Amino acid sequence: MKRKLFAGLLLLGTLSATAIAEEAELKSFERGSWQQILHSHAGRPTLVHFWGVTCGPCKIELPQLRHFMKDHPGIDVVTISADLVPNLPEATQSMLQKAGLSSAENWMFSDGFADRLRFEIDPTWQGDIPRTMLIAREGTVTTIEGAAEMSELDKWAQGQAATTGSR
Amino acid sequence: MSKVRPVFGAAAMAAIFALWHGGSSAQMNHQHASEAACEETLLRCASKVTPAFGRDGALWLVWMAGGQISVASSKDEGKSFSSPVQVTRENLNLDWGPDARPKIAVDREGRIALAFSIFRDKAFNGQVLTTQSTDGGKSFAPLRPITSNNESQRFEAIAFKPDGTVFAAWLDKRNRVPARESGTPYDGAALFFATSKDGNSTYSDAQLAADNTCECCRLGLALDGGGHPVIVFRNIFEGGIRDHAVVTFNDPASPGEIHRVSRDDWQIAACPHHGPSLSISPNGTYHVAWYTNGKARKGLFYARSTDGGKTFSDPLPIGAPGRSPSRPQIIAGPDGLMMVWKEFDGERTEIKLMTSRDDGASWSTSRSIASTTDSSDHPLLVSDSRRVYLSWMTKADGYRFQPIESEP
Repeated sequence: MKRKLFAGLLLLGTLSATAIAEEAELKSFERGSWQQILHSHAGRPTLVHFWGVTCGPCKIELPQLRHFMKDHPGIDVVTISADLVPNLPEATQSMLQKAGLSSAENWMFSDGFADRLRFEIDPTWQGDIPRTMLIAREGTVTTIEGAAEMSELDKWAQGQAATTGSR
Repeated sequence: MSKVRPVFGAAAMAAIFALWHGGSSAQMNHQHASEAACEETLLRCASKVTPAFGRDGALWLVWMAGGQISVASSKDEGKSFSSPVQVTRENLNLDWGPDARPKIAVDREGRIALAFSIFRDKAFNGQVLTTQSTDGGKSFAPLRPITSNNESQRFEAIAFKPDGTVFAAWLDKRNRVPARESGTPYDGAALFFATSKDGNSTYSDAQLAADNTCECCRLGLALDGGGHPVIVFRNIFEGGIRDHAVVTFNDPASPGEIHRVSRDDWQIAACPHHGPSLSISPNGTYHVAWYTNGKARKGLFYARSTDGGKTFSDPLPIGAPGRSPSRPQIIAGPDGLMMVWKEFDGERTEIKLMTSRDDGASWSTSRSIASTTDSSDHPLLVSDSRRVYLSWMTKADGYRFQPIESEP
């Protein structure tokens, strides 16, 4: 197991390094990924943005997130492509790259049973995108349906920065 | 400027996670992500299946599988099917969004009309293509675009009028162009329509029915007793409110006034991909089922109109709120109204049924009529004038076509 694990890590490390240099790394969002994301960002204010390449309003909002990232380095930014037209990793990577979000933590739905993935995130979510979840340092989740107002996101981020006094 | 960040920690975590789960989440796996059970063009590999009955009682199916559109028929209520006829030949990028599906209509003479959308470029601009068969489904004519305009079109709907004319409607983004040129904002898309007098081969010039509709939801199309098309669609009302509207066409196909179905107050700049369902009973009552997540109400709802769509009854909530009720479908059948929808508990999808014998004034309690544990198409209802059937494509259990027994 140890050897297998090491080989896996090595292979993945190589792949990731190559991928990042050229394009956005895209992780597969599968069953359990949501809990993994929550766990890995626990205690850190995190913006999770759900979007998709075939979604018109997403095309406008996505590039704005780059400015958000730049303005708020203390906030973790996670994007999840939950496009309702599945199986488009190349287009997804290309749009992330164009939006200047290659360095964000980028995921893409990669389970044919998208209903189940969405249910793990929010049982009431029927799949409309864009959608943004703001996860506060102490875990409070605020969901914004549709395109978010950047001023609203800025306000939330500033509030999060104020809760620690250190950024 | 380097974009490289020290992300090895996250990557390593992902690798450990992948190995522990015995999967290969490090790389995108197309096979794994598929909504379909297999990659061939066979019915059991389909992700979307649409049924229609011919006047002779034959059941016709059109489906999307293996990147192609195919058609077959059944003379024994779906127990066995004819050899499939593949309608598409080249590898088109079919629109396989959740509210997209190939459409089929069969007229009195047995002519078969098909319509479906493709993504014609890398920016996901859509195009509606049509074809028809005049030899009982043995062969289909070469595909033709429904309109010569090249702006994005999706979410088509077709129906044969009693005189054999095909009525088609779709969502079209052509009116964004003049708006962009004049620097005015343009929300959503527009509802366009056209008619074909030669059985779906050539269409009249496309005409506008409504500007600023939601751009990503299926249309609900039905014909009233006089053969006038009626369309229910998700509109964009003032203030970006994506609530439902209805339009009834006069003859010759000209759109009447647009009326609001319900004030749900769903203000959202997003793509719900969750369109309405419409059926008209023989006495002319409009029956509409829809999804909303508005300020006024959230979930699935039903309402009816007894004045040709001018006013609607108070919305009736459908389904169990904790089980994300979705994808409603309603039909006025020989035994009254039937409505189906999906409910999901995190693992299992159930198809729920509700019936009404008094034209929608009251409804039965709901009961489960089918279920599956993997992805599935929307549940559809189709009637051969004797009975109503559920048509439902599932990944795990294949294609299901089952008669719906009336309530005792």
